[in-house]
Amino acid sequence: MSGFFENYGFLIVTIVQQALLGLSIYFPLMAGQLSLASIGFYSLGGYVAAIMGTHPALAPLREALGFWMFPLEWLGALVLSVILGIAVGYPALRLRGIYLALATVAFVQVVNVAVLNMPIAGGAVGIFGIPQAFESRLDYIWFFGPLFFFALFLVWRIGNMGRGLAFFAVREDELAAGAMGVATTGNKVTAFVLGCALAGVTGAMSAPFLNTWNARQGTFDASVTCLAYVLIGGSRSIWGPLCGAALLVSLPELLRPLKDSRMILNGVVLVAACVYLPQGIMGGLAALRARLSGRGGAA
Amino acid sequence: MDFAWLLQSLLNGLSIGSVYAVFALGYTLVFSILGIINFAHGAVFTLGAYLTYALAVGHFGINGLLADVTMPVTLPFVPALIVGAILSGLAGMAVERLAFKPLRKRGADPLLALVSSLGVALIVVNLIQYLVGAEIYSFPADIFGDLPMAVIFKIGGKPVAVRTIQIILFGASLVMLAGLGWFIGRTRGGKALRATAENADTASLLGISVNRFILGTFFISGLLGGLSGTLIGVSFGVAGPYFGVSYGLKGLAVIVLGGLGSIPGAVLGGLVIGLGEAFLPSDMSSYKEAVAFVLLFAILLIRPQGLLGGRLEQKV
Repeated sequence: MSGFFENYGFLIVTIVQQALLGLSIYFPLMAGQLSLASIGFYSLGGYVAAIMGTHPALAPLREALGFWMFPLEWLGALVLSVILGIAVGYPALRLRGIYLALATVAFVQVVNVAVLNMPIAGGAVGIFGIPQAFESRLDYIWFFGPLFFFALFLVWRIGNMGRGLAFFAVREDELAAGAMGVATTGNKVTAFVLGCALAGVTGAMSAPFLNTWNARQGTFDASVTCLAYVLIGGSRSIWGPLCGAALLVSLPELLRPLKDSRMILNGVVLVAACVYLPQGIMGGLAALRARLSGRGGAA
Repeated sequence: MDFAWLLQSLLNGLSIGSVYAVFALGYTLVFSILGIINFAHGAVFTLGAYLTYALAVGHFGINGLLADVTMPVTLPFVPALIVGAILSGLAGMAVERLAFKPLRKRGADPLLALVSSLGVALIVVNLIQYLVGAEIYSFPADIFGDLPMAVIFKIGGKPVAVRTIQIILFGASLVMLAGLGWFIGRTRGGKALRATAENADTASLLGISVNRFILGTFFISGLLGGLSGTLIGVSFGVAGPYFGVSYGLKGLAVIVLGGLGSIPGAVLGGLVIGLGEAFLPSDMSSYKEAVAFVLLFAILLIRPQGLLGGRLEQKV
């Protein structure tokens, strides 16, 4: 069993880390808002942690705090993400559907160019030699695991209270929700900022995990991959992002024997999943269960 | 800020902006018919550049399955450009068959088309890498025969260079735009296309074979994408299989800036972004890649329907 974890530990932690990014897209989607901004906040959060972890001016603080420096980095990323999320969210969320998605794509690109031009972020090379929190990569599950369950709890809790009903009302029909007295803009911004904050903290945890941080963490491809976790996992189930991340993160590993052609097959699986599982894995499972129990009833 | 600099920037901006316009029209055509964005358009752009390279230069590098392979025949540049564009058009049709039609038939969430078209893009880009490697391919300097590289004028004692490639970029784009304008505005096929874009159900009741016109639209879209990929590739080199990604995103900025689904809007948007990049002061040139997206973000906040888009309707 220990051999299993040695071989696949990194993969498992990566799945949870990526599922967190999937969940950060799930939050705005709960209120019907398709945002691809998560990866920009993930990138920024990572830079906050990387800079706080390596900048020479902060050396005394790191020495004084020891391990507690890491939570301080998360806090830094959280504060930055919330402030920036509100600043971007209020104007951007006047837009709907594809317009909002494209505005958030633009946001990610601007963040990318901006960090490439900031001397403190290390240019194209980025920041490396970020202090590690644990000896083994596998131990980072103690960072990502609790955050994942906290985020999952938040999604579940929100779904079961007034706020969640307001989110769903905005998702189903924004005009009607507004007419019934639901504060549509406020709810959209809340859902959006929750996603931004989750992505930012995930980034801050990921910088030590990955040891280096650069602008390649925040590419357009990565943001669509996060959306793919949600859609392929199932966008109406809280377990969807985890399922999607598990499939899409482990796929390149499973296809490793195919060497150079595995990325081609990765694309084939993405297309096939869209065509044959339009409700995602969780939706497909639910349909299967309904069919089985339906047959059972008839027999 | 002298006159020569102004003229040079105008020239640079118009030539690159016209290619942006041609490329972005590929998005516009598909969006106006299906109401969705084809994320594989950037990959078709890349494919076009590689196809033309294969047809016109015909020799591959040291990586990939086709390492050191030489094509038995090569074409002169212009026929290679045309054949490359037509093959890209066929690739566009394959994108529709693989990523869009199956989802339409099953009535899937339109959002899924973003992912499935990106999946096709992933296939195309990695297939290119598998075949010819990730190295940079440059068209040779004598690809246009004996034409000089550039003609230099002196204006007020300062040089202004008109590069041959700029004239070719601008000329080819104008021909494409005029051809497309004529097809959509003046032919029966174009009329049917407009009818399908207006309302697919009504169009099909009137005897228009909607699926055939969607396929045709993807052909034209792929043609435009492949052509612009070649034009960019011949002027800046083909920087590996991923070189279409940033242009693909820029193309999105172009169509939103001009107004989603508006053909004159895509042309205007392309020129505005091309000129915006060209007029960026040289000490800010490292921000050039952000120009398109800052403009996109700004237009969405001020005028979400874009420069030439109609009013956004609120569905009640």
